[in-house]
Order: sequence, then structure tokens, then C-alpha cells
Amino acid sequence: MFGLSFLYPLFLAGALAAAIPIVLHLFRRRTEAVVDFPAVRLMQKAPVEQQRRRRIRELILLALRVTALALLAFAFARPYLRSSVAAMTSPIAIVALDTSMSMSAPGTFDAAKQAARRAVTDTPPAALVGLVTFADAATLVVPPTTDRGGVIAAIDASRPGAGGTRYRTALSRAAEAVGASAGRIVVVTDLQQAGWETADEGAVPDGVTVDVVPIRPPESNVAVTAVRREGQAVVAAVHNFSARPARVPVRLKVDGRDLTTDRVEIAPQSAAEVRLVAALPPRGGVEVSVDDAAGYQADNARYLVLDPATAVPVIVLTAESPGSSRTGIYVERALGVANEGAGYQVRAVDGRQFSAMSAQELDSPAALVILGTRTLDRKGRETVASYLQNGGRALVALGPDIDYDTLSATLGVDLGIERDSKSDAGGTVTLVAVDVRHPIFRPFSSPTGALGDVYVEQYRRLKDQKERTVLARFSGGPPALTEQIVNRGRLLVFTSDLDNQWNRFPLNPAFVPFAVESVKYLTQGREQRQVWTLPNVPPGVVALPGLYSLPPATSGAPERRVAINVDIRESNPAATTVEEFSAGITRLSQSAEVRAASEAKEQEERQRLWQLGLLIVLGVLASEGLIGRRAI
Amino acid sequence: MAPSEPRTKYLDPAVVAKLGTLELKARAIVEGFLSGLHRSPFKGFSVEFAEYREYFPGDDLSTLDWKVYGKTDRYFVKKYEEETNLDCHILVDVSASMGYGSSGITKLQYGSYLAAALSYLMNRQRDAVGLITFDDRIQHMLPARARPGHLTSILVTLERIKLGTRTDVAKPLRDLAEAIRKRGLVVLISDLLDDTDRVLDGLKHFHHRGTEVIVFHVLDPAELDFPFNKAARFRDMETQEEVLAIPDAVREPYLQAVGELISHYKRELRMAGIDYTLLNTSVPLETALMSYLFTRKKSF
Repeated sequence: MFGLSFLYPLFLAGALAAAIPIVLHLFRRRTEAVVDFPAVRLMQKAPVEQQRRRRIRELILLALRVTALALLAFAFARPYLRSSVAAMTSPIAIVALDTSMSMSAPGTFDAAKQAARRAVTDTPPAALVGLVTFADAATLVVPPTTDRGGVIAAIDASRPGAGGTRYRTALSRAAEAVGASAGRIVVVTDLQQAGWETADEGAVPDGVTVDVVPIRPPESNVAVTAVRREGQAVVAAVHNFSARPARVPVRLKVDGRDLTTDRVEIAPQSAAEVRLVAALPPRGGVEVSVDDAAGYQADNARYLVLDPATAVPVIVLTAESPGSSRTGIYVERALGVANEGAGYQVRAVDGRQFSAMSAQELDSPAALVILGTRTLDRKGRETVASYLQNGGRALVALGPDIDYDTLSATLGVDLGIERDSKSDAGGTVTLVAVDVRHPIFRPFSSPTGALGDVYVEQYRRLKDQKERTVLARFSGGPPALTEQIVNRGRLLVFTSDLDNQWNRFPLNPAFVPFAVESVKYLTQGREQRQVWTLPNVPPGVVALPGLYSLPPATSGAPERRVAINVDIRESNPAATTVEEFSAGITRLSQSAEVRAASEAKEQEERQRLWQLGLLIVLGVLASEGLIGRRAI
Repeated sequence: MAPSEPRTKYLDPAVVAKLGTLELKARAIVEGFLSGLHRSPFKGFSVEFAEYREYFPGDDLSTLDWKVYGKTDRYFVKKYEEETNLDCHILVDVSASMGYGSSGITKLQYGSYLAAALSYLMNRQRDAVGLITFDDRIQHMLPARARPGHLTSILVTLERIKLGTRTDVAKPLRDLAEAIRKRGLVVLISDLLDDTDRVLDGLKHFHHRGTEVIVFHVLDPAELDFPFNKAARFRDMETQEEVLAIPDAVREPYLQAVGELISHYKRELRMAGIDYTLLNTSVPLETALMSYLFTRKKSF
């Protein structure tokens, strides 16, 4: 009726409840006695209710109650007005235009724009047309519209960027723009194979056709795929993505100044390293570039920062002097792997050395890894406690070098270690993460959370404490890794040692990533990366390759330089075929009924008439309450 | 009537109600009343309104009262009835509201007993008595006559009256006022649950023409006390209009309204020189009859 439909029409049966007040009204027996009295006219000066007025009031109350019940059923049935606007039922065509780096070869994007324009003009007049551009992310630039001129203008304004290709993301966004209508997606792309190789997700409903307009990729591309400093030289890797050998000049610039140039010959579909020796300054921004006019332009240069890496300082506290024993060596070596050795500045000290550290030195560590406290004096213990209480982060391994009598004083918190609880696991146990989504375990990508089998001889048992979270357990149940807040600090507790004394964990392949991720978790927000790969960039930096300066983290410190490089996967122009592309599309099977239901749900979500209905019910009930309250 | 029983008991409406015919009731009431009068300090009253004058030569010798001559050795003749007696018109309200009674006797029954007793008394005094029953129009009209048989007609009419519909006191008063040619006495027996202004205008109109008026305002004890306790729907006996009321909440305002109505009538009628008597149907008819006598005496 009048285009009114309901998402859940069965709830309308609840409107039958509106008959209840009517039945009560019709069959209710009046309980008051009737007294014939001659002087009723004299009673009218008293506060009595006239019968006629009472009847009118009762009828009004009846009407309000019936209305409230009916409206309630109506609201629960989720009504919506079926749109009669032709646009809602018109077919929709979305042009998905590839704007990734691989479209930046000379002539490639012009051809793409021409194809996109043709896709727009070829769309039947009754259809709506929209534009999605995509690279790493997909953007609905022009929602479906009848204004074809606007779509073409948006196509003309598009530019290729430096991002990678993600087809699933693009298709998903285009399908979302099509919605529940009958639709078509026209993908204008160079069919780069790398577009399917990224870990993105997305699917296209069955009723949406996908047409691919292939744009021919360049026949060749030469890219600088890696740069690194080796002493007074910069070593660059150059990749030749073509079927013919390439001989290209490789140029080295520091802070915009040409320092040296060399030539390199590269076999087809191969890479070669070129060593560029020059007087490198201690600080500066490096650009290594090749001349490749025919290929992608954004990967012709790669950037590097010469500034000393501001590695995150970490102190490893051991019981014995690091120089005289191997204590702390496993953690030290593990942390040394991070970020190609530049991630952490690790300093191993024993208790005595720790106590002798100056306040400034003690102010700097982003994390403290406590492997032994036997040599910590009172001052050292107070320092550790103060460090934690003031917001410090620490990982303590409950191994043989921990002084358990003073541990509570050292940490400033009672860990609830069971007395004499040096449990003898005496065998191989599995270290299992309780929640694989925790930042420490996420990189392990193990669906079961298992970090590997570890031979554990002994560990400490912890009492249950509600302020502590168990992050990992040994198979069998006892906590292996816990986390808790200590005043303003954060404390990770590993219930065995990390020095290969009570267990063989440091010899397990999972040890290095475990140690790195644990310290990374503790020090998050304190690291200072120098090199970024698109699409990831630091806040405030545009997503284009190059060298950028960031404001210092603290006042008085120098500006921080960062290098943004393209993802080298985008440099490979290898393409799939249209058939392979179509086969790679994930389909969402959706029947016509489901589509119709989806469309109905969308319309109802937009209109939300049920909210209006409930609002009216509230108003009706309020009126009923006011009128019914009248005293007789 | 047992001789040993005091006749005054027949002034009790409850007792009267148990008597047989209305004639019997009327006689019982009047004789009871007169009996009471003889024993009362009001010895000055006489209902024997025999009027005489000295014989003048030329008077009809048949009008000589030989009994008076025997007592006085003087010649007196009786006055003609027209010279000494009144035309009394009794108006009885028979509207639906008069059918109310909470103590075993309705206002209409009480009013009819009173009308019968007054008719009896008037007839005994050789006054001409007429009867008009009315609701919103005149139901029965018997002209004022003094013949002995006319009393029977009045009593029969009173015996057979039925409750009518709505009240309109002004209409019969107006009609009667047009019909009366001779000064007389009008007795209105009604609960006066009507438009007070119209009632008062109608009554004052009589008084302006020299006719004496007595108003007997008959109300039931329940109308005067409002003794109800439970919430109920009170239905008007004439309009059928219902009101839902809690007695405790409405009693005071109702009693105030009743008191104001009675005071209003009392004040306005007395200012107009009209006798007003409030009658509670649970009290003896003696008061009514005494009031009648006072007025009758005052007039002539």
C-alpha cells in the first residue's frame, strides 16, 4: 500500500493484540452500583465526572491504547517505503581505474583513461555510472550517477601514483558501489600479476558482471629495488624486468648532490648489484636512481637515510658480568637481529654496573630485560622499582639468577610466586599463546598459537592474580608469559629463564622473534624508523617515494629524516590474462531473493521508520497516562 | 381506628401508608390533627368557620340559623359560602423526581397524603377545593368545588396518579393563574427540583393577583443528608444523566448546594409574602397541616 513494505511482516500479527483493549472495553462489567437520585443536578457543583464526558474519555483512552499496540507491532515489523525513484532500480556500472605505480609507464595511463572514458560512454543511457580508482586502496571517486560528464571529468583528473595493486580490494569497493542493483564493473588495468599476490580480501556478488579492459604494460622496466650503506659505499640492487638485457647508468646523490655515477649491465629478468663508492657524509639523504624512460618511473629511484639509526635503547640486567659469562647473550643476539641490527641499542649490565649507572643513563632505556637480580644492591632494587612505577617497561625471566627474596622489592609488586615452586617440567612442553591476536604473537601467524616445542626443565608457578593477564602457557596449563600493570609501568613475566639454563628455548627458532616481539611490544611507540615502504608512511608524510624531514620527537633534538620507497612487488610488469583475472575473482553467490532482501534492508536502514513509530508510541503512551490519571 | 389509639399517630406518614384508601388516610390524618389541636395550647383555633350576621328584614328566612337563636335569642343568618369560603387549588408535582423515596415512602406518596388531608380539611371547612397534578404539563385538573362529592373525585384522582416525566412547575402555575378569577389559596406540593427563577416567577405572579400561596417543599431525607457511602453512578430520575461519584468527596459540596437551594427558596418566597415550608418525608404531616391553618387564618 502506497509502496509501504515490511522487513519482518510476521510481527504485524502482533497488531492483533490491539483487539484486547477493544474486547475489554466492550465486555467489561461496570462494577459501580447505579443509584437513581433525583437531585443529581445539585451534585454537578461537586467534583464528579459526567457520564458523557467519561464515555468520551474512555473512548479516547481506548483509541490511544489500540494505536499504541498497533504501532508497536508496526515498528517491530520494520516498515520502509519502497522507493519509486527510477535510479534505485536502474542498473549501475562502475568503472574501476587502476592508478597503481605500474600504470605510470609512459603512455600507459593515457591509454587507461581513454579506455575508461569509452567504458562510460558505452554504458546504456538508463544505467548509472560511477568511478572507482584503486591502487593499494580503492576509492569511490564518483558515486553512481546519471552525470556522465562528471565521471569523465573525474577520469581526466586521475593520476597514477606510487602505490601497489590490490585487485580484491578494488573489486570489493566497486561491488559495494553497485549495491544490490543489477550491475557491471569495468576494470581498466594492466592486469599486473602482483595485484593478486597481496593479502587483501574482497568478493563480487554473483549478479554483478566484471568486464576487464586490459591496458598493455610496458615491455620493459628497470627498477632500483634495494640500497644499503657499506662503509663509504652505497650498494644498490637494480632489477631488469624485461626480456632484453639492460645497460643503465646508476646515479648516487646525497642531499640532492650528485656524488658518482656508474653503469651496470643486467641480464634479462635478472638483478645486479652496483657498488657506488663516494665520500659519504655521516648524515644525509641518499638517492640512487636509474634512467628508465620506458618503464615505471616511481621505481627508478630508491632512498636511504645516512643518519645514525636511533635505535631503541634496551638494558639487559644480568646477575653476572656480561663480559665474564654468557648470561644475557641470547637476548642480546636476538634483539640485535631486529631491523637489520639497527632496531635496538642493547646494553647488558650486571647488578653492580646497573647500580652505578647515572640518572641520565637510567632515564633513557625504552625497556629493561631482567635476567638476574642476585647482584643488585638496595639502590639497584629501588632504581628498578622506581623505573617501573614511573612508566618503565620490563620483561623479567624467572630463572635461577633471580633473587626471589628481594624480587617483590625490586619490582615494586608481589608476583605471587608459589613458595618453593620450582616446578620440574622435566620434558618437552609446547609454548602456546593464549590469544594469537596479541601483538607479541600476531607475527607468528600460527592459527593454534603454538610457538613451538620447547624443552623445559624448570619453571616457576604463579598464583592466580586478577590484575595479571596470562599471554602464553606451557602445554599442561601453567602460565609461561604474563602481563600486568605496575603503577604506570608495564611488566612482562616469563616464568622460566631466557638464558638456556632451565630450558632450551633460546635454541628454538621461535626464540628470536619471541624476544624481538616481546621487546617491540614493550617499546612500541618509542622506535624511530628511518625507512618506510609504501603504502605505510609516518604520520604527516605524503604517500610518495622520496626523502622527508620529520619534526624532532623532543625539543632541542635535530629533525628526523625518513626515506619512503615503493613496494618492489609493483615493479614487476608481469601480467595475467583476462581469463586468469576473471578466474581469480572471488564470487559471492547471491540469489535474486537475497539481493532483493539486501536491497530492502538497505532501504529500511536508510529510512528507519521504526524509530519514528516507536517515538509515536511513546507519545501515545504518555498521553494515555496523562488522560487516564484524571481522578474521578 | 381503635378508639383507644391516639389519633395523632395517623400523622406519621409511615402509619398512614399502611391505611387502606386515600380517603381513609385523609380522614385519619385530619382527625388526628384536630384531635391534637384540641389538646394543644392552640385553643384559639377553630376550624368551624361558620360565619353569621344579624338578620335584616328582607333576608331569606331559610337562612336563619335557629341554633344560634336558641342560644342567643337573636336572629342571625348564615353568610353565603361565597362570602366566607375560599377557592383552594392544590397543585401536586407528579414528575419523575417525586417518585424517589429512601425510607419506605416516596415524595409523591407523601405529597398525595398531604394533598388528600388538605382536601379533606378544606372540604370540611366548606372551602372549594380543586386539584391539579402536573409534571412538564398538566396531567389532571379538577376545578375548585365545595360539593361533598367533589372531595371523592379529588381523592380518587390522587389515588390514581402516576409518575410523570420531567418537571416544569412554571407552566401549570401560569395556566392556573390565567384560570383563576376569584381570590383564593394556592397550595403547591413539589420537590421544586426545577429552574428556581421560573418557579419563583410563577409563584410571585399568583401573589401579585391577591391569591395566597403556600409552598410545601417536599424532600426525601436522603436528599437532605446524602447518606451514601460507596462510589456509585448516580442517575438522574428525570434526565437519566449519570455521574460517577465518590460520596465522601461530593457530600460536602452537595449539602452546601441543597442548603443554598432551600435558603434561596425560603428567602425569595418569604420576601414575596409566600409561605414556605420544608417537609422531610420522614416527619409527621402535622407541620404541614399547621402551616396551612396559619395561612388560612391569616388570610381571612
